[in-house]
Amino acid sequence: MDKSLRVWVESEAGRCVYCGFCEPVCPTLYPGGHRGYGPRGRVNIALNLVEGGKPTEEVLKSIYSCLLCGACNLVCPAKIDIVSVIRVFRALMWRTKTY
Amino acid sequence: MARRVSEDLIRLLSRDKVIDDPDIVRLYAREPSGISSEALAVVFPENVRDVSKIASYAYKNNVPVYPQGSTTDLVGGAVPEPSGIIVSFERMNKIVNVNILDSTVDVEVGVRLGDLNVELAKHGYMFPIDPASVNIATVGGAINSGAGGLRGAKYGTMRDWVLRLTIVLPDETGTIMNVGCRTTKCRQGYDLVRLIVGSEGTLALVAEATLKIAPLPETMATALAFFPTLENLFEAYREIKSSGVQPLIMEFMDHETAKLAGEASKSPINVEGHMLLVSVDCNFEAVERIESWLRGVMEKNGAVKVYTSKTIEGAEPLFTIRRSLFPAQVAIASELYPGRKKIVFMDDIAVPPSKILEAVKVIKSVSEEKGLKVSIGGHIGDGNLHPSVAFPLDDDTIKKKVLEWEFEISKIAVELGGTVSAEHGIGLRKKEFLRMEMEKLGSVKALEIMKGVKKIFDPKGILNPGKVV
Repeated sequence: MDKSLRVWVESEAGRCVYCGFCEPVCPTLYPGGHRGYGPRGRVNIALNLVEGGKPTEEVLKSIYSCLLCGACNLVCPAKIDIVSVIRVFRALMWRTKTY
Repeated sequence: MARRVSEDLIRLLSRDKVIDDPDIVRLYAREPSGISSEALAVVFPENVRDVSKIASYAYKNNVPVYPQGSTTDLVGGAVPEPSGIIVSFERMNKIVNVNILDSTVDVEVGVRLGDLNVELAKHGYMFPIDPASVNIATVGGAINSGAGGLRGAKYGTMRDWVLRLTIVLPDETGTIMNVGCRTTKCRQGYDLVRLIVGSEGTLALVAEATLKIAPLPETMATALAFFPTLENLFEAYREIKSSGVQPLIMEFMDHETAKLAGEASKSPINVEGHMLLVSVDCNFEAVERIESWLRGVMEKNGAVKVYTSKTIEGAEPLFTIRRSLFPAQVAIASELYPGRKKIVFMDDIAVPPSKILEAVKVIKSVSEEKGLKVSIGGHIGDGNLHPSVAFPLDDDTIKKKVLEWEFEISKIAVELGGTVSAEHGIGLRKKEFLRMEMEKLGSVKALEIMKGVKKIFDPKGILNPGKVV
């Protein structure tokens, strides 16, 4: 099951074209202080780490500061389900005890 | 080396202004063009003194420096290649002063254009440069790339709207310089402001700017029309352009692209052909006359369907399809290469408005010859077209074809009297194309002059190296 979830995250997050249209609507980007606190950053962190690797403290802050509000989902031109990517990536990290 | 540089930068600035976590740094070493690289660290200056310290450090230690806004660049202009320090201006995001009497605004360059317009709207003003990425693009990114946008038909590009700049030079002390004036009329010797605008961060680090602002229009007449043929559409275009009326916005999308954009935006408007969208800003007394004139021109030239509006608010639904050009291009790419990582390759050329029909036709035939599915949209009021194709990252054959296509398109633009880049810049992707353009103009010497200018500003060549020339 974990494998199918990993494949799903790869396929969903892999559609990101890096346009950044999701960033202006994200409530955590400005308070966070860098791109890792916005949807573009989180989706690509998930994509980079979904196959494994120990997340750093900064990565954990990025992934767990997402409010799952879904504002980014509404504006993504590639129609990526960003909220589900974050939610599934959290579950995978929990299961594989990478944090 | 990365560790030493980040430790130095932390000592120089402070811990919270430096990111050296590779997973976060990687997010800044990539852009939508598909070009990516590696960087040593990302720094977040909070004022011009921080910028000066960074520039001085980079000069003394021969480390490349890459200024960045929100990295929406499409030509590789913000990629850290070779590796170096990325200077992200996102925390320099203050709107310092709005001066209505002077029609200016002072800003730090990390302010997003969308946020700037929200603030200016409170005063009944706007900043007219509106690229498709207006909500995310920063003032600094727009200055460095020489951005334009939908309102370019009337208001031009960034070079027409920047009055004054605070810049930092990559030298021993990180010299801070103010260039330009707060006045529209300004003969301050050679025009360094316009040299910096569009220089893609290769000459100086831009920290602050004084921009001109424009009053929000009282109202506007808008017509959205669909034509059965390109010839019909361009007859209407020619008539409007030759009428003496200066449209605020004049946008084009080919039939298929408009159709997909309509679907992507869930617009209730039925796309029935090639799309022409025209807005003319005017006063309340004139709006009825202009709206009726626009409708008449469209219908006379064979439009199968025309939607019009006499208010700014009423025009919003008519803009939905055009605003979804990029989502449509992403949708086309997703249909072509489902489930594969892909790049949407949006080109940016300009031709004289009189050559626009010819340009669209040749772009279509070149794309067909190469077996590439092209979508075409653009700001045709100023002759700027954005043909777009896509390729999957795992297919080198299609990628090669796309790169050849892009060169062909640029050649067409130059042959028609236009240019290889209207508003996106040269970056890494179009350096060869720029050389081709200058060769065709018999002006290769200009490239040597540009390299000489670069050397004066940046003697060690550490500022966004390898870009433009």
